[in-house]
Amino acid sequence: MLREAEAEERYSRQIRFAPIGAQGQRRLGEASVLVVGAGALGASLAQHMVRAGVGRLRLVDRDYVELSNLHRQTLYDEEDAAEALPKAVAAAAKLRRVSGRARIEAFVADVDRRNAESLAADVDLVLDGTDNTATRLLLSDVCFGRGIPLVYGGVAGSEGMTALLVPGDHCCLRCLLGADEPDGDGAPTCDTLGVISPAVEMVAALQAAEALKALTGNRSALRGTWLTVDAWHFAVKEWKLPPPVEACLYCGWGEPTAAANRELAKHEGFVHAEDDLSREDHGDTADEDLSGDEPESEAENALPGDDSEAETENTLSSDDSEAEKLVVLCGRDTFQLMLKPSVSLAEWRRRLAEAGCAITADNRYLLRASTVEGERIVIFAEGRALIQGAGESERALDIYRHYLSDETRRRADERSVGF
Amino acid sequence: MSGPLDFKLYVITGENYHPGRSMMEVMAAALRGGADIVQLRDKESPKRELIEKAKRLKELTAKYGVPLIVNDHPDVALAADADGVHLGQDDLPIEAARELLGPRRIIGISTHRIEQARAAERAGADYIGVGPVYPTGTKPGRQAVTTAYVAQAAAEIRIPFVAIGGITEANAEEVLRAGARRLCAVSAIVGHADPESVCRNLLEKINAWSLGEQAAVPASLPISVAQTLPERRDVREIALTVNGRSERTQAATLLELAAQYKLEGRSVVADLDGAVVPRQLWGETPLQGGCSVEFVHFVGGG
Repeated sequence: MLREAEAEERYSRQIRFAPIGAQGQRRLGEASVLVVGAGALGASLAQHMVRAGVGRLRLVDRDYVELSNLHRQTLYDEEDAAEALPKAVAAAAKLRRVSGRARIEAFVADVDRRNAESLAADVDLVLDGTDNTATRLLLSDVCFGRGIPLVYGGVAGSEGMTALLVPGDHCCLRCLLGADEPDGDGAPTCDTLGVISPAVEMVAALQAAEALKALTGNRSALRGTWLTVDAWHFAVKEWKLPPPVEACLYCGWGEPTAAANRELAKHEGFVHAEDDLSREDHGDTADEDLSGDEPESEAENALPGDDSEAETENTLSSDDSEAEKLVVLCGRDTFQLMLKPSVSLAEWRRRLAEAGCAITADNRYLLRASTVEGERIVIFAEGRALIQGAGESERALDIYRHYLSDETRRRADERSVGF
Repeated sequence: MSGPLDFKLYVITGENYHPGRSMMEVMAAALRGGADIVQLRDKESPKRELIEKAKRLKELTAKYGVPLIVNDHPDVALAADADGVHLGQDDLPIEAARELLGPRRIIGISTHRIEQARAAERAGADYIGVGPVYPTGTKPGRQAVTTAYVAQAAAEIRIPFVAIGGITEANAEEVLRAGARRLCAVSAIVGHADPESVCRNLLEKINAWSLGEQAAVPASLPISVAQTLPERRDVREIALTVNGRSERTQAATLLELAAQYKLEGRSVVADLDGAVVPRQLWGETPLQGGCSVEFVHFVGGG
């Protein structure tokens, strides 16, 4: 009862806002939201959701905090950058201080075809805070397959765009952009155009507003438009979103889950869609393991399906079986690859130090080291590695072969037994 | 003349058809109605008088940006600074007229058989008259060539040809159906109490045929067939707004427009008149005159 009264006080100004009211607030408290990406947009979106009183927030991000993030990624501070904390971990810690009521599940992971389904399994809404087209198209596929509304947002320079795509009402992102639009095809990003914080916040605010409408049952208030906004040369434009494309596998008719989508779309505001679509197909225990009661443990939990090879585009083949996929991340001189998950961070620390690397960050989530030549290697606990500052993919492969392949280990072992 | 000659509605003077009204008054009405080429035909007046008439007419047609053609007399055309001359089969040969008039003035010639049409094309005529399609008081005694010759010309002749002879609002459709895309009328226009509205009605019929054909060509004919058809269609071009700028385009669909801007392989969202158009539908989304298109690059950062 005390908790009830406290909630009433806490959200009183939001409840007083007529379209939300007490009922809308209750719906928020019962809602589950997935925020993909905890960069500029994602961190802002997560904060909007948690402050508004969303009952459960699931946050996933593949990156860690760096100084160059701080001008626009408002959840993080210098300490997070100094510690090189994964964004999901740093964000979860901050969000828990914002609200002890919300259940916050944080995952340090790259969203791909293996884990996207389980991440989206039991949520009412997905908020897009990603930084690349490939992941957005994947989210669109998963959301339209499961009938989950997706709030797209993108930002670069001083402009951004956003749209809430509702399965059954609108066509999917794949239809808007073309079926197989490759990533890195010149769509402007923060790395090519730079970015200013006000543009981020404008887009995040518009995304959050649509999310609140959807989650509180204010379906008739949804914009139903594709909106572009420029915070510098002030301009706002919007266009009506098209209906589903009949021939499309994801948003059109005749696809396996179309009936489920329509059923779900009937639910005013999409909340309480008791979607038993979730959980049954992967039997993961992530949900239980990652309850808000034990914040320290959560980012360490691997997502279900993490043991299979990554299926990502922009890959380079390598002779080394361990580094079958070298992925270019978002055009910012970062390559990503998967290592053998069986090797612990402590073991990696030993190996890299042996190989002459300087360890520049070492926490329970990741290890960061500087190579002799000055490139950075970041290894996450789940076995994912980033190679930064290598420039060319050939050099990144060299770094992999030299420092991260079994070859390294053999050399280290040979030294340690005195050969 | 700038650019290749083209026109749709050819009007010829005929003072005997409008007693009580001046030639200038009647031709002004025809021009207001949309006549886009005018010929001075006067078999009676002495040359000195003819030159005066041509000068006055030239002044009028120039106001409308419409060429003035003088029937039969290259010297009169030159003296009045008219835009060209129209010859009969028994007049000066085309080559001789070209020598007198130089390369820039228009030379047209009446033809009554396909052989004459071919010869005119070879000799460098800028256009030919095809007729008389129907029996006419303007050329008494000459046998009508019927729409069969119109169809022949349509299939074979590459320079502009204009159907002439007894053409009225009532039979214009028939001539257009045979393949004509330019019509000439004399008595039906200048003999009518309201030349302006006759011109308007005729133009409307011509435009309806030209546009309908435009839309059908790319969709219904394989490219190879379309290319072998005679050059007798006006290229359809529409005015539209692209990303806030006024543009003209021959693109018939959103996909063709995107191709013009080299956007096919890019992550671009297209908006037409206030609504986003899914990528797959660009090819089947026609562009209408006056429409507004926005192409926006998909913003990828986050």
